[in-house]
Formats: sequence, C-alpha cells, structure tokens
Amino acid sequence: MMNTFYNKCTLILIAFALVSCSDDFVDVDPPFQLTSETFFETEDDFRNALVGAYDLLQATYINVILGEIASDNANAGGESATDVVGWQQVDRMIHTPVNDDIDNVWDFNFAGVYRASYIIENKDKIDFDGKEQIIAEVRFLRAYFNFELVKWFGPIPIKPEGRFELGEETSIPRASVEDVYAYIENDLNLAIPNLSPQAVEVGRATKASAQALLGKVHLFQDEFGLAAAQLNEVVNSGFRLYGTVPEEDVLNLFEYEAENSAEAVFEIQYTGTEGAGFDCLQCSEGNVMVGFSGVRGYDGPLYESGFGFNLPTQEMFDAFETSDLRKELSILDIEAWAADTGAIFVIGNQDPQTGHTGYYNRKYIPRQNENLGDANLTQPNNYRAIRFADVLLMAAEALNRGSINDVLALDYVNQVRNRAGLPDINVSGSQLTDEIYRQRRLELVGEGHRFFDLVRTGRAAQQIEGFTAGKNEVFPIPLEEIQFSQGNWEQNPNY
Amino acid sequence: MIKNFLLTTFCFFSLCVFSQVRDIEGSVADKESGMPLLGVNVIVEGTSQGTTTDFDGNFILPSVQEDATLVFSYLGFKTLKIKGAGQTQFDVKLESDTEALDDVVVIGYGSSSKRKITGSVSTVNSQSIQDLEPINAATALQGTSAGVSVTPQSGAPGAESNIRIRGVSTNGNSSPLIILNGAQYDGGLNSINPQDIESITILKDAQAAIYGSIGANGVVLIETKRGERNQSAVVSYNTYVGLQETTRELSLLNANEYVLLTNEKYANAGLDLPYTNLSQINNNTDWQGQVFETPTVISNNVSIRGGSENTDYSFSASHLDQGGIVAPDKSNFKRTTASISLNTDVRDFLNVSANVFFTNNRSQGINSFGLGSVLFNAINIAPVISRNQNNLDGTIDLGNEVVNPLAQINNTFNDFESNRLSGSFKAELEYVKDFKLTARYGFNSSKLNNREFFPEFNFGNGKVFNRPFNQVNLNQQDFYDYTFDLFNTIEKTFFDDLDVNFTLGTTVFRAHGEGLFASRTGVPRNSFQFADLDTAIGVGDNQTNGSFVSEFRRLSYFSRVEFSYLDRYLLSGIIRRDTSSNFGPNNASAWFPSVTAGWIMTEEDFIGTSDFINFAKLRGSYGQLGNDQIGNFLFLSRLNGEATYVFGEDQSLTEGQALGPLANPNVKWEISTKLDLGLDLEFLNRDLRVTFDYYRNEREDLLIPSIPTSGIFGTSAPGSLAPTINAGTVVNKGIELSLNYSKEVNDDFSFSVNYNLSTVDNEVTQINGAPFLEGGQFSVGQLPPSRMEVGLPIGYFYGLKTDGIFQSQAEVEAHPSQALLGATARPGDIRFVDVNGDGAITQDDRTYIGDPIPDVTMGFNLSFNYKNFDFSAYSFANLGSEIVRNFERDQVNVNMLSRRLDRWTGPGTSTTEPRVSAGATANKLFSDYFVEDGSFLRIQTISFGYSLPTEALKTVGLTSVKIYAKVDNAFTFTEYSGYDPTASTGAPIGGGIDLGFYPLPRTYTLGLNVKL
Repeated sequence: MMNTFYNKCTLILIAFALVSCSDDFVDVDPPFQLTSETFFETEDDFRNALVGAYDLLQATYINVILGEIASDNANAGGESATDVVGWQQVDRMIHTPVNDDIDNVWDFNFAGVYRASYIIENKDKIDFDGKEQIIAEVRFLRAYFNFELVKWFGPIPIKPEGRFELGEETSIPRASVEDVYAYIENDLNLAIPNLSPQAVEVGRATKASAQALLGKVHLFQDEFGLAAAQLNEVVNSGFRLYGTVPEEDVLNLFEYEAENSAEAVFEIQYTGTEGAGFDCLQCSEGNVMVGFSGVRGYDGPLYESGFGFNLPTQEMFDAFETSDLRKELSILDIEAWAADTGAIFVIGNQDPQTGHTGYYNRKYIPRQNENLGDANLTQPNNYRAIRFADVLLMAAEALNRGSINDVLALDYVNQVRNRAGLPDINVSGSQLTDEIYRQRRLELVGEGHRFFDLVRTGRAAQQIEGFTAGKNEVFPIPLEEIQFSQGNWEQNPNY
Repeated sequence: MIKNFLLTTFCFFSLCVFSQVRDIEGSVADKESGMPLLGVNVIVEGTSQGTTTDFDGNFILPSVQEDATLVFSYLGFKTLKIKGAGQTQFDVKLESDTEALDDVVVIGYGSSSKRKITGSVSTVNSQSIQDLEPINAATALQGTSAGVSVTPQSGAPGAESNIRIRGVSTNGNSSPLIILNGAQYDGGLNSINPQDIESITILKDAQAAIYGSIGANGVVLIETKRGERNQSAVVSYNTYVGLQETTRELSLLNANEYVLLTNEKYANAGLDLPYTNLSQINNNTDWQGQVFETPTVISNNVSIRGGSENTDYSFSASHLDQGGIVAPDKSNFKRTTASISLNTDVRDFLNVSANVFFTNNRSQGINSFGLGSVLFNAINIAPVISRNQNNLDGTIDLGNEVVNPLAQINNTFNDFESNRLSGSFKAELEYVKDFKLTARYGFNSSKLNNREFFPEFNFGNGKVFNRPFNQVNLNQQDFYDYTFDLFNTIEKTFFDDLDVNFTLGTTVFRAHGEGLFASRTGVPRNSFQFADLDTAIGVGDNQTNGSFVSEFRRLSYFSRVEFSYLDRYLLSGIIRRDTSSNFGPNNASAWFPSVTAGWIMTEEDFIGTSDFINFAKLRGSYGQLGNDQIGNFLFLSRLNGEATYVFGEDQSLTEGQALGPLANPNVKWEISTKLDLGLDLEFLNRDLRVTFDYYRNEREDLLIPSIPTSGIFGTSAPGSLAPTINAGTVVNKGIELSLNYSKEVNDDFSFSVNYNLSTVDNEVTQINGAPFLEGGQFSVGQLPPSRMEVGLPIGYFYGLKTDGIFQSQAEVEAHPSQALLGATARPGDIRFVDVNGDGAITQDDRTYIGDPIPDVTMGFNLSFNYKNFDFSAYSFANLGSEIVRNFERDQVNVNMLSRRLDRWTGPGTSTTEPRVSAGATANKLFSDYFVEDGSFLRIQTISFGYSLPTEALKTVGLTSVKIYAKVDNAFTFTEYSGYDPTASTGAPIGGGIDLGFYPLPRTYTLGLNVKL
C-alpha cells in the first residue's frame, strides 16, 4: 500500500517536472524588433542611426527663431502679447528659469547630442568601409549640437565617450565653457580628416562644414589665428556667393531654387511632404520656424499665411541702405506689399515692445507650396545654417580682429558687399571691424546669429533693450533641470 | 405461488372491501429551481416498500396503505415525510439542505466555504444576475457587492465598464484580474452572456496573493453554469424586449433665449449685435430632440442543461440586439453567443470537464465621447440653425469644432466585429485518497475586424471634421492567450480535529497579439458601400500600412496551506513566485506572501450559539500582491523611435532608426500591501447576516509613465519618451459593511433586504522625481485640471477657487487684480480667491477644488415573493464625489445651459452666475464654478414578475413560465446638471470630467422565461 502511494507520488512529481517550465520561458525578445543589444551589428545599422542623429537638426528651428527674437533684430510678435509666452519673455529679456521654450532648446539639442553619442558609444562594434565617414559626420553633428548648447547655456554637462545614463544628472557636473569647447574642437578635429570634401549625398556634412564650424568655434573664443586658418581653407574650397553668376539672382537666395547651392556650406534640410502636429513640433520634417514667422491671416500672391512671430524691427529695417539688395531680400514690408498686390493680412500682437512692426522675416516666411498636414508646421524651407557669406565674414573678422591680414579681410567683406549691390569700401583696423559687424548684421538678419554675435563681441548690453550684463549673456538652465540634478548643477549667475 | 395468491387475495380485499390500499404516483422536484429530481428515494415508512424517481422525477408505488407515510430522501436535500390522506397523486418539492454557510466559495486554485473563508470576498450569484438581467455582467456588481465600483465607460451600446475594487490605487491600470473558469480572461465582459454566469466572486484582500503579480487590483472570478447531475434535460428559453430612452435632456436655451443672451454677450463686449431683426429667426431647433431616439433592445436566450449520474452538460445560445439612444442606425451592438460545457466522472478518481464559448460581437459607433461628440455638438450648436443645414457656412460662427450633429451622424460609417472563442479543459485526478492533481488549460482566441470610412464632406469653412478627400481605414487584430495550470491538492485530517489543505502548483501564461492596419483614399463614389482597400484608387502619402506584434509570458509557482483546528481556529498561508517577460534582468522574479487567519467564536463553548446569534467569525488577512500591467519590454532599449531626415538632390525623406522610449532596466511590478480585518455574523435563525471589514491597501512602486526626466537623456527626440519609473505610493483605506436579511414568513410570502456600504479614503503619499503629475483636459488650451500630488486624493481637481460675483466696480478694485488671468475683471465677473495671498490672482492661486472619488458608496436591494408574484428593486448611491461640467464649448456663439438665464445683469442680480460677454473674461478658466456635486442615488432596476401556476403548465408540458416587467436605470436622484453623474473616462488622473457623456439609457422591458 505504502509502496503504491510513493510510486504514484513519484509519477506525479515526474509529471510535474516534465510539464514545468524553467524561467527561460519568460526570456523572450520583443518580436520583430531591434533592441539596443543587437544594434550596430551591420553597416546599415550605422547608416540608419546616422539618419536619427541628423533628424534632430530639424528641431534646431527653435534656436534660430528664438535667437532672432532675443536679439535687437526682431520683436516676438504672435497673436497677442502673451502668445507663446516664453518667446515674449525672451524678447523683453525678462525670461526666467521657468520657460518652456528655453527648455525646448535644452531638450532638443541634448537629444541631438544623445543620438550622436549613441553611435559614438558603439563605434567599435564592427568595422566596414566607409565607417570613418559616418563616425566623422556623427562627430560633426555632436559638435553642432554642443556648440548650440554652449552658446545658449554656457557650461553644460558633457560625456564624450557616450550617452548619459539615468542617474548621471546628479553626478556629472556642468563642464566649464573651456572644457566644452575643447570637447567640441576634439570632435571636429577628429571629424575633419575623415570627412569627404564632397557631400556623400545632398544634405550631409562635408569637410568644409566641419572646418567652418571649427572656425566659428574658435572665433567664439576669440582664437583668431586658429579661426582664420580653418575659415580660410573653407574660403578656398570652391564655394561661391549665390547670385554672382548670370543665371542666378541674389534675391532668390532664400527661394527653393537656391537650396543647397554653391553658397551652402552646411544646410539643414526640410520638406513639406509629411504632416506634423503641435504636440511634437520637433517631429516635423518641415521648418516650424517658417510657419510661425508667416504673415497672420495672409491672403495674396507668393506667400502663405502664418502665425506672425519674429517681426523685424523698424530700426533693423532702417539699418539697410536703400540701395542694399538685401533689404528686399531680407524683409517683407507688408503694408507696401499689400498696397502693391492687394494682399490682405491681419495684425496680431500690438504691444509696442513685442508686437507688430509691419515687417516680416522674408528669408523664412512660407512660400506658396504644396505641403501636407498642418501647413504652418510643414514648410520646406531649408535653413542655411552655414553659408559662404557667413564664412567670408567670419574669416574677415578673424583676420581683422586677430590683426592677421586686413587686406584679405577687406577683400572678403567687399565680396559680400558687392553681391548685395554695394560698392567696395576701403577701410582697415577698427573701422573695418565695425564694417564687418555691420555687414554680419545686414547679411545674416533673420538667421538667428545676431544675439550670439552681440554677446561674444561684448555689444549685447548696449544693443539689446532690457539686456542685463553679467546675466543675459547666457540663458537660464531650465528650472526642472536644476531640480533633476538635485543640486549637482547650479543656476547660471543672476537667474 | 401461495404467497402470490395470498397477496392478490389481500389486495383484492383491500381494494374492494376495505379500500385500504391503492397505487400511488407522483413526482419530485427541487423546490428552488422547480427542476425534477432523479433518483430520489421514496419509501413507505415502516416497510421495505419503496422506489426511486425516474429521469423526469416521476415515481409509481403500487398498493400503498391509504394512511401510510411516505418518506422522500435525497442527498443534499431535507428529508420530507408526507402522511397519506387518501390521495393517489403526490407532487412534492424537496428543499435544499445546505446552509448558506456551506456554500462553496471559489478562491482561486481551489475553493472554501463561507463558514471557513478567512479572506474578504463578495459574491454575486445567478439569482441577482437573473433579477438584473444586465446586458453587461459588470452591471450586476454595481450596488450588490461592497467595495466594488462599476462605472460604464459610456452609455453607447457595447461600451465596457470600468471595475474598481476598493478604490483607485494606481495611476496606471486599475482594472481587476478576471479569471473565467480558472483561466485569465482579458476580453471585455461584454463578450460573456450574463445568463451563462453561475457566480461572480470578488477577492478583495491579500487572500488573492495566490494570483501574485496580477492580483493587486483585486480578482474577479467568474464561473459559468453547468448542468445538474441526475436531472433530465431542462430547456430554458428567456427572452425580453426593451424600449430605451435617454434619462435626461439638458435644459438649454431656446431660439429666443439664445438670441437674447447672444446679443447681450456682444453688447457687454461693446460690439455690434449679431441679431438685429428678430423676425428673421426662422428656426428653433431642439437639437437634443433631434439626436435622441427610443430604440429597442431584444434578447433571446436558450439553454439546455442536465446530467446523468456521472455526467452533466450545458448548452446555451443567445442573441442580443441593442440600438443606441443616439443614432441607433449608426450606434448599435449585436452579440451572439454559444457555449457548451461538459463535465464527467470518467472513473471514481478521474473527473474531466470542458467548457467552451463562442461570441460574435458586432457594433457600430458614433463619436460619443468628448469634444466633437454628437451630443457635444447637439448641446453647443445654436438653436437658430436649421436641422437641414449640413454646411454651417453663412450662419453664425461656432468655432472650428461645433458642427451639425445630424450631418455628423450621416457621415459616420464604421463596422466593428469581433469573434472570440474562449474555453477551458480540466482534468482532476485523485491518484491517492485525499491527493488530487488538477491540470487545466484555458484559452482565449479573438479576432477583431474594424472598418471605418470617412467620406469627403464639408461641414463648413475651417471645421476640424472636414474631409477634403475620403478615406477608408481597415484593421485586423488577432489575439491568443493560454493559461496552463497544474496543481496538486492534499486534503487531510490529522489527529481528528486538524484539517489541513495543501496546494502546490504552477501556472504558465502566454499572450500573443498581431495586427495589420491600412488606410486608403479615393474610395469610389464617396460611399461606404465601396470602402475597401482594393477598390480605393487614391495615391500619395495617405496610403499607409502598419502592423504590430506583441508577446507576453508569465511563469508562476504558488503554494497555499490552510489549517482548521476544531473547526474554529483557521489559518492559511500563501506564497507565489512570478517571473514575467515584462520584468527586466534586474528584477527577474517576484515573491508574494500572505497570511490569513480566522476564529469562529460561536464554536467556542464559552460563547456558543443562541437563538439570537448563530454564527460569529473574526478574520484577518495581510500580505503582498503585485500589479504587472506595466507595459511590455520597458526594461529594454528598442529601436522604435523616429528617425527621418531629408537627403539627396530630390529632397526625399530618408528613414533611419533611432531609440524609442528610454528604457528603465530597474522597472518592476507595483507592490500592494493589503490588510483586512473582518467580522462575519449571523443572527436571528440565520435570517440576518452581517459582514464588516476594515481595509488598508498601500500601493508602492507605482509605475509613473513618462516621468519628467532630464533633457540630457534625449527623451524629447522624435519617437522617444521619458522612462516609466516605479516612483509613487497611494494608500486606500476604508470600511465595508453589508447587511442581509431574508425571511420566509410563510409558504406564500418571503422577502430579502440587502444593504451594503463602503468607504474609500484615498491619499497619495509619495511621488519621487516630480512634485506632482498632471492629467485630464478642461475646455481647449487650458492647463490640465487634474493632479496627483502627495497628501491629496489621486486625480484631484486643481483649479481656481471662486468667491461669488463682483457686484460693482468698487468690489473689483477692492480685490487683488485678476488681469494676469488674461482679462481685467469687471462687475459681473467671477471673483477668484487669492489663495497664495500674493496680492494678485494668477494661475498660481489654483488649489484643491474637489475630487472624483466618492467618499461613500452604498447599495440597497430588495426582493419580495408573494405566491406567484415576485418583486425586486436594486439601487445604489455614491456620496461625496465631484464632477466637472465640461461639455460647454468656450465659444461666443454656441448655445448655453438655461441656468445662464440667471446671469448677473446688474448689482444684486446674481451671486453665482457670471455675466455673459463676447469679450475676454477669466470666467471660462477652470474653477469650482465648473465643479459640481456628483453624488447620486440611482434606482438601477425595478422588476415585477408573475409565475404561472405550475399545475396548469404541466398539462401543456411546461415546468415553469414567468412573465415580468422591468425598468432599468429607472431614476437617478442627483444635483448634477449634466446627463449622468457617472460620466467619467475612468482615468486615474483626469477622471470625473464630463465631456458630454453618452448617457446610460433608461430601459422598459417586458420579459418571458419558460422552462420545459
């Protein structure tokens, strides 16, 4: 009897053992999905990840429009004095650490750094022909995003070897501006030798892109010799100002036909073929800045309507000589235009400090085109991030301010003047410096450079209304970031 | 031979001379169900003469003494003795012998009895389900079980209900685990025919720890009906027809009132009046009257159940067809079910059972929730617009969302169909006496097909519902899961008085899903008739396809040991270990322990039972459970982000790959620590039964999805998302009380009364990494109205506090400026309280202004039986909840609630209703002006039935016939001004906000139940 009992129990136990699973049963991979563990095992993985890093460039529209609003070039505009309140505050220079839009600058650019670092972290996983070019582009992109971050925020946390990991916000400090620049320069110096002089395909970074960026990075540190060396190489790399050959018209410089032209040193690519929504502006494949800069309630020829932000000031408009072709190129005088063409438009924000001026940023307002989804978010205008005119002026500035070669500097400046329909001038020394500064403003208005040019040359406090020296040179670290860091990151001075 | 002769002679004498003996016949049936009983022993007392009843419960006994006493005995029934008084026909009914205390209670991987159960359990039996006859079985839990809250997601036909047990404990998924015939069931209760349900048992406390990581939200165990052994086939046919209507139409302005108030709005803003010539107002459209209809609901249900000595079986089939009270042609639900259940004893030691059901659901739906729903449009569209004006161009501007609801209905085309096959197969082997091995395989297989068509249509310039081109969307989804259980039970008594029940087992669960999606434009003739991928001829970017695959697995081991000493000291311990594909390597396995104990005091000699108190049990439970509904593979970095850029001469989109949501390798289950102390009492000859519970549930490691995280982790990149982190704690505590009194006054009259009450005190006690979480939506473009914050109930309403209406400019000036809210206050505007005392009214003055969690919920249910009549009434109440009125579009020209007629028009005219104005005011901002008391008492069901006399039925071969009339959702007593105070998305953060809820219909039903 007892025997049978044990026999039966043994049988049951065996049965249990046979049908029981081990913990391996739950060890499954997400079906048909790539995971981080199995990524970067083929050449395509690297190429595909590179697309992801480029993707974030499109989100830098925010740097451009907000940089422009921060400067003395433009008013915030919009529907009312509280429309996109973060921009309005920046225009008045009353922004605080609580500002969603400044937070977006932080988040979007760090997202770019993160995606680039993800590739760099895995760069040694496999080898294949052409990997150096890809890694070099990645380094260029990371430098681009980091340069934006250091311009906006000063000291930032850095981790050259790879991605930040959860928890490191409380341990990795904000590196000094010098260290951040060293990191950026290192990425660019590693990138330049491996980058192809000709873009692998239109839209991708070239050797000159990285050299121009490196030159700019040096210029921002007043390292004029190093800047001039890099920028001169770019000047001699075969670029050409648009409109200097008969079949081109300088007035078309910001039209589609001049995208990725001979003037383009590095251009951020946008398209209108995919829709977008307000819940993820950084996801748009279009240039969000453009719709936001459009004329409110516009109905007329050539342009499309938009949200009426980023309005050039009267003072900006008046800074152009009448004969300067760039006046028409850069600024749309809506009242004159409406009188000529019968176009109609609506005036939004009428606040004297941030509101309607009658002028629009003609370089980046929507042209009539076929775009999908919310038309205001999907404009295809490429952002001319680094163009040859900018390179010429930066080179001139380095040569002049570094007392290296005023003659060459003057030549570069005159190239830019001539293209704008202005005659040569002949000045040198500090007069030339002033002319370079003036030409930088006139040439690059509406492109997001002015604020940072004023800051790096120490002219911001005198030019920008409300600018507090010792404070507004950089923007505040978003309050939530300060909180996340649990005391690891200190706020920028006086915020 | 001689014996026979004598007997015959004796009989002859008996019959002819004394009439002392005669043949008798009769039938035996179950008193409760009326079902005939097979195998009942019928014995003439004091003799060896006797027989047993046949398959139809009939018996014949020849030559029985006229005054003999017949004894009817049957296992499980009270023995009945009847003394003959000359009749030859004996139709008797036997009464069940089981005490309610011995009722079997399923507790997961086994069962217990009401007497010995030590956890907190509510049960709803088939009687309640039959009384209520709900379309969705979840409704039967409402008001019948303490601590269980059921809120329909919508009154639209086919809508599911949110079931919450003992409050909301998580910002994530709060739905309880549903176990159908032992297997995990993730389909909606809508797919189950309520008339197939035998019982619903709810495990509310740590006793559910046997379900480990899936039990934290409570467990709902559903058992379906089986046939009865030793019973000939009983065929039941139940049918009803109901007429449905809305319980309420909101009181809105008519055309004249609308014109008056709209003009006043413009006048108050200093603008030209829109209506100057009142004679031009041609329409006075009652839009609610236009969209509400009174459709039918029809149900047919057939079942055949019975059994032999070793086998029982059940077959059933049903069909339900319900129209919606809004646009029944476009909003309806059809359910067809078929089920089969077999249970047989193959040998003394081996029982095998199978249980399978099939459900086909078909439904069509209209936009029935939120901004843009049909009812939202009916509330907000101006009454001066004609019902026939499909394109609103040329009428007054109602903003971009409000369109003609009738045009919206006409342009709604969809068809949803689901086919589900669910079932379980079970074998129980008693391989040694008291040692039982159970193997069970349960499965759910469902296939969903959706087809939607959006015709090209223009509702008016700029309307968000405009479709410049038509589009057809198709999707097909297949889901399959199985639960395999293998467990061993040992039930043995030691030392005479120590009963031990030991269970040890394992469960394997796997769920797999796949789906395909596609959209096409260019549907020929702009017609649903041709809305297919193949026939559509559109080109371009809107021709999209997609797919998904999901996979989930769980492996569990569990054990439970129960001791009962001297039938009075009860103790049990449960432990379960889970591993799951949702758990990352850092938290691979989870252990869930619990203990329960009970003391049946009335078994003690020093207490004992009396006429007054019959039973008293003190019980308690404490333990941990988990919630593993945390999302799949959150611990793993996946390349499912968005990587799209523009490359090449032709500026074409190039797709790449990027990281998706940030992984959290430490992600783990939520942990719920549950304490329950309870008391079960029976008084007055067991007529009064009282249950009391105190509970405290602490849910730790709440999973907070997309928790705010530093930007350096790249979470703002397209397709990325901040990680899900275990970062919060919520405590729910309260009491539950249930009172049952049932009394059989005499053979003709019996009644029962049930009252239950439960309280929930909800408090968030911890959130790491964020000061609060926000959610919900109020109006358009306003800040989120709901928050989860330490020290307050989860999902409380966060808004401005009001303090009446400014009566004069002097009052405005005496008050802190409200200009920073966006508009300078004027007399007639709402006065907000400067909560933070900084001398200005801003959004920083927002504060707690209510929460959607009721403090007290109650149920009160009554039933009477008098002779052949029966009556039952079910009701329930929620007290102390708030609800946000959010169905009024904030646009100048929309229609308004009639309450706005009492607006402020000058000093002293109103202290509650602000002025109307077309200009900017802060009155529209989320404040307690929009928060109303959501308390209510609802008479859920009133039913009145009449059963035809059985004697008469017998002649036509029927066992029983009952006809009844019933009203569902009969009346709701509430102060709330919207359609329905139960309106809620059910979202933990953002619930209790009424965006134009599709109200539950009131239904008048006539029904017929026939048994043969």
